[in-house]
Amino acid sequence: MPRYAIITDLNRCTGCLACTVACKAINGVPVGNFWIKTLRVGPHPIEGGSGTYPDVEMYFLPVQCQHCENPECVKVCPTEASHVAEDGTVQVDRAKCIGCRFCALACPYGVRYLNEESRVVEKCTLCEQRIQQGELPQCVSQCGARARFFGDLDEGVDNFVAPAHPDSPGCQYDEMTKTRVKLKDYVEPYTEADIHHLTNPGNDPKLMYLLREGRKWRE
Amino acid sequence: MELEWPLILFTFFVCLASGILLGQGLMTVLGKGKKMQLASLVSSLVALAIGGIAVFFHLQHWERIFNGFGHITSGITLEFIGCVVFFVVLVVYFLMMRRAEDGMAPKWCGVLAIIMGIAMPAVTGDSYLMQSLPTWNTFLLPLYYVVNAVFFGMLAIMVIAVVTKTDDVVERAGLIGAIAGVASLVLVLAYALYIGAQGAQYSDITYYFDPTLPDSHMIDVQGDAIGTLLAGANAPLFWIGAVIVGIIVPAALAYLAKQAAAKGTNQQVLPLAGAGLVCALVGGICWRMLLYMAAMHVFALY
Repeated sequence: MPRYAIITDLNRCTGCLACTVACKAINGVPVGNFWIKTLRVGPHPIEGGSGTYPDVEMYFLPVQCQHCENPECVKVCPTEASHVAEDGTVQVDRAKCIGCRFCALACPYGVRYLNEESRVVEKCTLCEQRIQQGELPQCVSQCGARARFFGDLDEGVDNFVAPAHPDSPGCQYDEMTKTRVKLKDYVEPYTEADIHHLTNPGNDPKLMYLLREGRKWRE
Repeated sequence: MELEWPLILFTFFVCLASGILLGQGLMTVLGKGKKMQLASLVSSLVALAIGGIAVFFHLQHWERIFNGFGHITSGITLEFIGCVVFFVVLVVYFLMMRRAEDGMAPKWCGVLAIIMGIAMPAVTGDSYLMQSLPTWNTFLLPLYYVVNAVFFGMLAIMVIAVVTKTDDVVERAGLIGAIAGVASLVLVLAYALYIGAQGAQYSDITYYFDPTLPDSHMIDVQGDAIGTLLAGANAPLFWIGAVIVGIIVPAALAYLAKQAAAKGTNQQVLPLAGAGLVCALVGGICWRMLLYMAAMHVFALY
């Protein structure tokens, strides 16, 4: 079983909200709901600095369903509407959902929303409809800073991929959309210590964030 | 966190229903309360039904409720099963009571009622234990519901006993009710202290901004939630509503009702026990509201 996830290089993320908007557009996320929110974290004074500008640092943090290894939302769902799919992602079966919203209570990250029209709980699907046919999640595909990379944790985070420039200008659509670049080959060097997860009360989030030395990860 | 009234009312009426059943079961084991059995069963059933109806308003797709058996170990499914078993226990008690020659249900029915009266609030409390919500994720929550059920139950069966002219119940129920009141007081104070001490469990980002909520202030876990009970914005609701009106006054009234019954001044029992029950019920609602007001996800940024 694959263990799909996304890693976001926060040293590259510019907070353009392209992921947030692309997600809403392709998944029809209702007004007021967000399957990804991009927060600005900071500015915080740099340790040892003057305490004021320019001795400050900040980063942007896209927050979505973390497709946890040990998802609490799945444990509390009375109908198995929230479940771990065969590709390791956490999904919601809309036909089974009774709208009790216990999953939203159990999620530490506040990323589950009630769709007021269909009255079922929704969240990031990791663009299940796209990844099943070999495409990238739309937030990865549309990332304005090429900060987001998608892949299977079992194949190693170094092999996570993002869209890339085709070698030949004026190439065909298929070539353009299927050209990939690997995380290790594209971004600035990083170590295991630079890879972070959102705060983990026991659900073991799979999504990762890269933030290198020089900026302080806050959780 | 926003108040979820259907859930508040569900836990409230579950505790009331369980307490009445537990109280009647205890009296049955002690060989008391023969005349009030039917009234207790009906009161318990009505409370359970109101709680059950209330919780349906929480569900967005209640017509899919039978999907609820899909995940047998989830808290909601266990609550659902608990309600069904509770109803079965009520029916069994009723049938055995009607079959008994002396009109008194056998003691094993009383034991069954006591077990159900403890198990139901415990299961209900257990379903709210979630790692994402540090202020709920403690054994104090199900323990509170159990003690609260005993407190509600003893006050309720005192009232039922007076109304049904059952003389042999009030003294015992009043004493147990007063003891349950003291236990509730200790538990609620301990729980409030526990809530206030959970600050380290939350994500500490310090400064952040959510561009989708540009006019919202940064969430302050201490000032907005966990620090509001003992001395903050919710302190009046806690101290006056949950502690004084909800526990100290009804516990004292339960004891006074017991004393009145012991002295034979039975006409004082109904107003004392009735006022005590009303106060306890009001306090129970206040504390449940506070549990929501103090609840916040560990990653509480929006």
